[in-house]
Amino acid sequence: MPRVMRTPRTIEIDITNRCNLRCEYCYHFSSEGDVASDLPTDEWLAFFDELGRSSVMEVTLGGGEPFVREDITELIDGIVRNRMRYSVLSNGTLITEDQAAFLAGTRRCNHIQVSIDGSAPEVHESCRGAGTFRRAVHAIEVLQAHGVPVAVRVTVHHRNVRDLPNIARFLLDDLGLPSFSTNAASYLGLCRDHSAGIALTVEDRVLAMTTLESLNERYGGRIQAAAGPLAEVRMWREMVRKTAEGSAMGDCAGGCLSSCGGVFSKLAVRADGVYIPCTLLPGTVLGRITVDDLADLWSNHPELERLRTRQTLPLAGFEECGGCDYIPYCRGGCPGLSYTLTGSPYRPSPDACLRRFLRESGLGPGSFLAGNGVTP
Amino acid sequence: MPSACRIVANPSTVFREELDDWALLFNPDTGAVYGLNPVGAFIRKNMDGRHSVRDFADLVTEHFEDVSPEVEKEVSAFVEELVEKGFAEYRES
Ligand code: SF4
Repeated sequence: MPRVMRTPRTIEIDITNRCNLRCEYCYHFSSEGDVASDLPTDEWLAFFDELGRSSVMEVTLGGGEPFVREDITELIDGIVRNRMRYSVLSNGTLITEDQAAFLAGTRRCNHIQVSIDGSAPEVHESCRGAGTFRRAVHAIEVLQAHGVPVAVRVTVHHRNVRDLPNIARFLLDDLGLPSFSTNAASYLGLCRDHSAGIALTVEDRVLAMTTLESLNERYGGRIQAAAGPLAEVRMWREMVRKTAEGSAMGDCAGGCLSSCGGVFSKLAVRADGVYIPCTLLPGTVLGRITVDDLADLWSNHPELERLRTRQTLPLAGFEECGGCDYIPYCRGGCPGLSYTLTGSPYRPSPDACLRRFLRESGLGPGSFLAGNGVTP
Repeated sequence: MPSACRIVANPSTVFREELDDWALLFNPDTGAVYGLNPVGAFIRKNMDGRHSVRDFADLVTEHFEDVSPEVEKEVSAFVEELVEKGFAEYRES
């Protein structure tokens, strides 16, 4: 098991529950993190002082849309004053020239992540709403002009999967970004209500994998993924190859629910100030900021300890994994998705199941290994 | 740098003590992170502007077992590296 740090290295904060948009697949709204109210400035600033005393190194501000907060610059000043760096996850539509200049001036910004889901308004706006594309692109240009690091995230879904080659060209060639990252619309938050028209079908998923792999090769590795089709195809190919060879998995601990190491170095906070293990597990209430001592909660909360020992739960013990050849190489997927799909974070996520994917896609392991899926 | 020179930690950097006496140094201006073993962490804790490389070498010899005969040279190289990376400064005595 990874070692637990003495205090969290990173805190992910839903700094607001408000947003000017309602993207159809948003993981936040209608989740247990969709809370009634935001905290006032003073309470966040007092919390940032505690983070500084606890030697936390970075804060990620998400939500909701962080730039709807009128006090966003004051909050970021509080982070900087406490010797931390920060990132902001944004839809990009509210970022102004003045804010970009302010962010540049702090010299502590790891990145501003702006979501772009299409190469043109009609694709991007199919889930995000009219008028959002130009404003998000403008934000990227303004941030670039001020030298603020921009990280673009593309969420792959049913309506943009065929636009991926254009998206890559737009972001990497036209806007000149060094890279962008991808994930997929997942069965979380609002996506649960619109899943039929937005979530990737199995055919979409194969297409996304094949397309992203070939684009990444064409663009010299400038497409990144920690989740979603590109991450899956890399991991699953490795699992199929290792299974065929009967060889060890290397440094990745397979055979247990070991895919998520977040609880060893990160903690999250909802917009109402409630500590949670992760923004994808917003219903797991651990305590409250400025009431519960951070270091004590981090080291001693029984639910955090339980989530850390999740890493030792063997996949062979789950009925749904019975007889699976991939057990020694599988790590069970995201606990947040396991929770929404199965009702428990202590089970493998069906979404991350290679055996299920191969069965549903009709691809044999040999064909999957050879990349013989769908031609983009 | 003469080994009588005092060394002070850069107060705008973060010193994170981890388990088993290991530690991390973090420079929020650059994002640089630097891992310290228990001896390095012990020296960093004593960078209060009152100790020199020679003092650190004496303190290390007092507090740790099996200390190398080259301890002053090794401490000097370590301090120089922290100064270069912006985690500490020399202070004229
Ligand atoms: S059944 Fe699915 S989740 Fe279980 S070990 Fe096999 S691939 Fe992994």
